[in-house]
Amino acid sequence: MRVISLSDIRKTYIIGDAELPVLKGIDLSIESGDFLALMGPSGSGKSTLMNIIGCLDRPTAGTYTLLDRDVSTASEEELAMIRRDRIGFIFQAFNLIGRISVLKNVELPMMLKGVPRDERRARAIELLESVGVAHRADFSPLNISGGERQRVAIARALANNPEIIIADEPTGNLDLKSTEEVMDILSGLNREGRTIIMVTHNPEITKYCNRVIRMRDGRILDQSSVEQS
Amino acid sequence: MKLYDILDLISIGFKADRFKTLMSSLGIIIGVMAIVVMLSVGEGLYSGVSSQFSTLDLDVIHVIPGRFSFGGPPARSPEEPAKFTDKDTKLLENIPGVRNVAPQTSAGVIIGFRNTNASATLVGIDPENEHDLKTKISQGRFLTESDYTSIVIGSGVADGLFRMRISPGNRIRIYYEDNYMDFRVVGVLREEESSGIRAGNINTQMYVTHRAMKELLGRENYYYGTFQVTVDDPASVDEVVDRIKLDLKRYHRDEAYDATTARDMLSSLMSILSMIKYALAGIGAISLVVGGIGIANVMMLTVKERIREIGVMKALGATTRDIRIQYLLEAGLLGVVSSIIGIVLGIAVSFAMGSLAGLPSTIRIQSMLTGLLFGALSTVIAGVYPANRAAMLDPIEALRSE
Repeated sequence: MRVISLSDIRKTYIIGDAELPVLKGIDLSIESGDFLALMGPSGSGKSTLMNIIGCLDRPTAGTYTLLDRDVSTASEEELAMIRRDRIGFIFQAFNLIGRISVLKNVELPMMLKGVPRDERRARAIELLESVGVAHRADFSPLNISGGERQRVAIARALANNPEIIIADEPTGNLDLKSTEEVMDILSGLNREGRTIIMVTHNPEITKYCNRVIRMRDGRILDQSSVEQS
Repeated sequence: MKLYDILDLISIGFKADRFKTLMSSLGIIIGVMAIVVMLSVGEGLYSGVSSQFSTLDLDVIHVIPGRFSFGGPPARSPEEPAKFTDKDTKLLENIPGVRNVAPQTSAGVIIGFRNTNASATLVGIDPENEHDLKTKISQGRFLTESDYTSIVIGSGVADGLFRMRISPGNRIRIYYEDNYMDFRVVGVLREEESSGIRAGNINTQMYVTHRAMKELLGRENYYYGTFQVTVDDPASVDEVVDRIKLDLKRYHRDEAYDATTARDMLSSLMSILSMIKYALAGIGAISLVVGGIGIANVMMLTVKERIREIGVMKALGATTRDIRIQYLLEAGLLGVVSSIIGIVLGIAVSFAMGSLAGLPSTIRIQSMLTGLLFGALSTVIAGVYPANRAAMLDPIEALRSE
């Protein structure tokens, strides 16, 4: 099943009088169950593309179909709803909220959705257990290690059981051991059938992916499909 | 997002930043306190004044030289103050509806008693016409027409001015400018609850006959300072006032004089009270504005501090509405808590003013609710702009910020 379909997506920023095209016509289809790596030098437009795929940003032109729905013209409220229910975000800088506990961080997307307290607490604990950090539930995210933080972030991304996970350099701030742990969890999630789109600079970890897309100068340079072993 | 979840998130923020939270709410606390104090004291003054006026003589008119003013500086007028004499007494007595005319002249004097001195007010009177004073004698007797060196003193003069009590039979010396006269105390007046509205407090006054007063003042031309005119029917008091003003013109065409009633004084007093009330309300309003600006400042700071957090919330699916409600509620909650603290402090201050300064205060539930309403309102208004700023943040920009 096709979950994401981008057709001639363009994004142009206007700075003063000058137009700065960042995406110059992207065509891309992502199938359900894909684990896709997005690579390219900085300035190639991969972050902008990720933001558009993640419904944080809207394209200047082109059509974006997400789960059979044209979202290129969706309102901001609709986009927020899609992010909440259909997409899980994992960031390089973890982006956990420091002033609330690990458990509350995982509960947050469910809070936004209005899941009752007991139900979401149970699910949050379950998710923390599944990524092996349940013992940190009452800690502040500031007082746990980087690897643990990223695992909490994964638990949070999964809170509302989204079909799609967007990971923006998820291992960029992690050591080798944590990188492996995080990638193992992600590929486990992929095996469960979730579609994962990951930006990375690290060619090592593309081995977990079934597709690698290289970008340069606002265009997709080449696509290669890897048969997963 | 559900309400209790938002409140939960907000309270975590408050706890984490107790000091900042307290400082930001000080303005609102003070503002609400001022409102509660204003309403309580205002209410107390009003009820105090009206209870005093229920005992006030509504059948008495004061006729004075110059222009009547109450509380403020003496009213200025280009004319000379009227010089009242027995001619005026006769004229007033002949006005229909007038029962009694009591001319009085008062002066600040020094009393000498057993080698110590004190100051008091001496009033020259016509004993015949002071029916009211006559009934207030508690010791000794009242003055008669034939008295010359006899004096009647108020309870506060008898008791409290000197180390020893002054009793009927004692001799006192009264000094006025370079002059002095010796008097024998013949009577002491009963202690009166001070009304604060009468021309003077009878407890601290002393009374002698006009003859003695004229001698003491040493003036060739002795004039009356005021007439206390009593009317037959309190309902006709305004008519009599008009008539007095008209008739006195005959002798005092180019001089200033005035006739006032208790009701005039009441309305003057009420206008002073409402001035006090408005002043307090102004203080309350200013503190609320300043407090609101304080809250807006702190909220802006909070939003700035939490830009990244807001970005995360948005990425996780928070709508602009979710964020706006969260920050409006944060301001509102701050306002409600501050207002409650302000109300409690306001009640305490009202009580303190009542017992320390003798200012009567009446605390009513309406005063507290008014304080709460205005406190909460000003914080919510103050929260609108910061909350909008937070809600309108672009999640991509916000996530990129440090």
